[in-house]
Amino acid sequence: MILGDFGTSYCKFLDLDAPGAKPTIIATKELPRETRVDLATGHNGKRFADRYVNELIALARGGEALIQEEEYVLLDCGSRDIKFIRYANGKLADMGWNAECGASMGFTIELLERYYDLDYGHLRVPEQTFSVTCGVLGMSDIFDAVISGIPVAEAVARFVKGIAVNAYRFAGSPAKLYLSGGLCDNPLFVGSFPCQVTALGRFVLLRGLEAEARQPGKPGPPIIS
Amino acid sequence: MALEPAFSAATMRRFRKIGIIGVPPLEVIQAANAHGLVIHDLDEPLVREDLETASPYLPRVYCAILRTAVVNALHLELDAIYADTGPGKCDCALHTATILAEALPIPVIRTRNTDTTAFGTPLCQARLPLIDRMLAITAGVKSAAPYQNPPPPCTPTAGFWGVPPRDFSILGLFPDTTHIHGWARCMENKTPADHALETEFNPEVPTVFFAQSFCAKTALARYLAKKHPHALYLDVDVHTTSSARAKVQAFLELSGVRP
Repeated sequence: MILGDFGTSYCKFLDLDAPGAKPTIIATKELPRETRVDLATGHNGKRFADRYVNELIALARGGEALIQEEEYVLLDCGSRDIKFIRYANGKLADMGWNAECGASMGFTIELLERYYDLDYGHLRVPEQTFSVTCGVLGMSDIFDAVISGIPVAEAVARFVKGIAVNAYRFAGSPAKLYLSGGLCDNPLFVGSFPCQVTALGRFVLLRGLEAEARQPGKPGPPIIS
Repeated sequence: MALEPAFSAATMRRFRKIGIIGVPPLEVIQAANAHGLVIHDLDEPLVREDLETASPYLPRVYCAILRTAVVNALHLELDAIYADTGPGKCDCALHTATILAEALPIPVIRTRNTDTTAFGTPLCQARLPLIDRMLAITAGVKSAAPYQNPPPPCTPTAGFWGVPPRDFSILGLFPDTTHIHGWARCMENKTPADHALETEFNPEVPTVFFAQSFCAKTALARYLAKKHPHALYLDVDVHTTSSARAKVQAFLELSGVRP
């Protein structure tokens, strides 16, 4: 059984029938159109599978598989949106999905790194931050800062920190959170959270799909469009 | 035409087709029923016109239900509009009535529904598809007759708190055993200004607290969701987005609610 997490910028796959197989990643823009999987999640997923699990459920199932705690907050920061699940006493206590006002945060962070030829591995977490609620709108803060004489790297770092702080608040400002998504590999972003962060990487939703697939008699709901 | 200050049953003889916004007092509906008037509930999408046609009159960032009411009012050939603007509706409706009164050549009559006679809420507690029940509740606004053959109540497995959404498709995600709370329950009870009834919820079942985006009730919905031990707060504007749909679907499934 092939699982697929079809994200905005990257797609992740796992073949459950291949012993010891590791997840694979491919840029969404390079994804062959004829790609088919057995069980999918991600906002592009319905196009590529007969069965689909929505992203919040995949995130929650991934959290249940990876986090052995009764109380936690798991935040997923993707290219296009942010979403979180909060568990208390081992049960779902709160959740959120910000696809509108949290728009394009991850995508914008990657775009800025390439455009300005930066390396987030070498940028320090700034003291100051921008008040950023949206990747697109937040870019004007960068341009204004650069015009006022602030170095580009510092302005972008403030922007990245602003996005992290916004995501942290969206998740309910927890003292500790688990982070999911490709931004786990961005040390500036991870270090910008004003709380303890445990980065779980970009395959949490795939692990959630795996849990769904392994549930007896429940390979995921059929797609209803 | 200017706003007409008060309701008068006698003036209804002049009309054949009226529109209503919100839930006008029972005496208005009784008089309209007695005169055999056609009643259009302007809060529902009734005409195939772009919501943008309301933009010259209301801001784009505004309650989608009232924007819908304006579009309906502009395109339906009505003889009068009865807009409830009291504690059973909202200030947005009050301002919308003022704007419509100037924009339209028909009388716009403001009402204040403070009815307290409870008609009961059988549909809110019945075991039937949520969409069908909400359609029946909204249709019930046009009739002053008591409910006949009410369905029996069921044991709830989920709750929906809020107003009838502009886009009913979100309701299709809920099980038939969902109980309805909030202003929709007040609607069925024909007591839209009963704020005590509006704030009631069942803490025993997972509940979605819904409000239209940009509506004052978003504050109440979020406040009550925080008080409820197992709740999801949700606001939706014109159409149910895929993320809103996914939130409800995930909330119900992860809460163990069976479809």
